Amino acid sequence: MGKDFSKTQIDKLGDRLKKGNITEADLRLLDEYRRSFTGAYETVVGIIRNEVTLEPTGRPAKSTTSISEKLLRETIRLTQVQDIAGCRLIVADLIEQERVVQRLNQLFENVTIVDRREQPSHGYRAVHVVVKAAGRLVEIQVRTAMQQLWAEQSEKLSDIVDPAIKYGGGDVKIQQFLKEASGIVADLESIELEIAGDEELRSDKKRKSEVSSLRKRMVKVLQSAYPTNKRST
Amino acid sequence: MIFLIEYDRSSGQLVRIESFPEPERQDAESARLELELELNRLGRDHEVVVLEAASEAALRRTHRRYFENLSELMAS
Repeated sequence: MGKDFSKTQIDKLGDRLKKGNITEADLRLLDEYRRSFTGAYETVVGIIRNEVTLEPTGRPAKSTTSISEKLLRETIRLTQVQDIAGCRLIVADLIEQERVVQRLNQLFENVTIVDRREQPSHGYRAVHVVVKAAGRLVEIQVRTAMQQLWAEQSEKLSDIVDPAIKYGGGDVKIQQFLKEASGIVADLESIELEIAGDEELRSDKKRKSEVSSLRKRMVKVLQSAYPTNKRST
Repeated sequence: MIFLIEYDRSSGQLVRIESFPEPERQDAESARLELELELNRLGRDHEVVVLEAASEAALRRTHRRYFENLSELMAS
């Protein structure tokens, strides 16, 4: 695994993170483990910058909070977590998203593409491309601007209302609003895809009005998800 | 640029942001560890994360939840 730690040692650390009561020694070992992804992370980000000519926002290492929550939520061990290191690309629309995903698929070996557009995860729509570099996995999140808007709302609501919201739990009404908004984003992106490259369709007044009303509806639905007893406005 | 962020999830508030030039990634990671150790000693449950972006403006576009409240998120 690494020069200073074994797989068993890291998985035992994961068990302790799940239980809480993290010691200073645990934080130091986790830090060392996360730093072992730096080489892989730098390789992946460098390739994206040079070959895809996009500037990702990188997260060289997942936060302790996020790792602990993931281990509690899922049945995986710490050494199986695929997004210890990662980065995010925000692109304009579905066409650009598809182009970037295909390019990443060409550029890296051992690629796993997790497409959450057709089958959203609790409303979350995006494409995650997991690649291997320097013996480590790195997750590249590719989101369209609208998928990003939805995700940021969902994450913020999870922060201030209930962490379960992001994963389909928590307040039922908030879940319904988020799922409805996610559906509207999918409809909007579908229309954009349909009219892309078709000047006649793009200038069609009916289509324009449809897109405009869907956008307004999405904003309204997301605003409806605002909790009345929120701790932060 | 490398950014060290301390974020209080329960209030949705950014507590601190510190920037480092890209060659100082190791320093940013060391600062992250020191901050995590300090928060752990204080029993404070804040998220600490190191992010990298071309600029703070770029970071604010891709990780808006650290910087904006719900109303601001919808204002774009």
